[in-house]
Amino acid sequence: MKNRLKVLRAERDWSQQDLADRLGVSRQSVNAIETGKYDPSLPLAFTIAETFAMPIEEIFERG
Amino acid sequence: MGSACSPRACAFRMAWKFKKMRGFTMTNTAPTPPQGKSPFLYVGIMFAAIGTVIALAATDAINGPTALILMIAPLWLVIPAVKAANRRAEASCAGKGEVNRRYLRRVAMFTSFYLATLALMKFINKDFDPAIELRTFLALLPGLAIAGIFWSIGRLIVEQTDEFIRMLTIRQSLWATGFALSAASVWGFLEQADIVIHLDAYWWAVWWFFGLGVGAVINRIQYGTWGAV
Repeated sequence: MKNRLKVLRAERDWSQQDLADRLGVSRQSVNAIETGKYDPSLPLAFTIAETFAMPIEEIFERG
Repeated sequence: MGSACSPRACAFRMAWKFKKMRGFTMTNTAPTPPQGKSPFLYVGIMFAAIGTVIALAATDAINGPTALILMIAPLWLVIPAVKAANRRAEASCAGKGEVNRRYLRRVAMFTSFYLATLALMKFINKDFDPAIELRTFLALLPGLAIAGIFWSIGRLIVEQTDEFIRMLTIRQSLWATGFALSAASVWGFLEQADIVIHLDAYWWAVWWFFGLGVGAVINRIQYGTWGAV
């Protein structure tokens, strides 16, 4: 899956650790999702969407 | 979901964010609080001390029971090693926090129990020729301590709240299982054919722990991080 996490994070001037703290996960998790090495579960994808106040489909798309 | 950081580490991060807002720094990741000495330093000293005792015993400078007693003393270095590892986990906020602290505490407890019961079993069997019941009881204890370490890893997987880190731990465990069972199968047939020497079954647990290391390296290659175990 492709995602816009890095762009969205940059727009808000958040570091990976900032986003990780907001999501309650490790910085490694954010990095793995951002680089496409790991696809998050549905609950985590919803949490990411809530954090950015956007629908899931505007953040993730099929790769 | 809550924050993965401890209050101390998060206070440090808040101070960093304040600096960031004032334009002092702009990097991809926040700095980490002071971490102190590496846990590997304590583990290194512990193994160096145990190695010295083994060397003294091998050269007959000290007798067997003395060596066993002297080997237990450095094991207390497990405690500062665990504390140092906790400090690092706290500093990195790597999704570990309290879960990782509990895991390290359990492993330290079962490792200490294993080493103490192993020394006790060797000491009593060597010098007192105990009855079969006592020998059975003493022989069960180190094995149960190792089972406790497996249980600790299982609890780490169950309690882990970070799904990515949990996946890395499961991958490590699968690699370790495949590695140890494959090694046991190959060795067993070689042993049956009288090509290699007999290995006591507890060595396969040692190979399993070695397999965890193999899994960590593969995690690092595929996912860029080692995992939690």
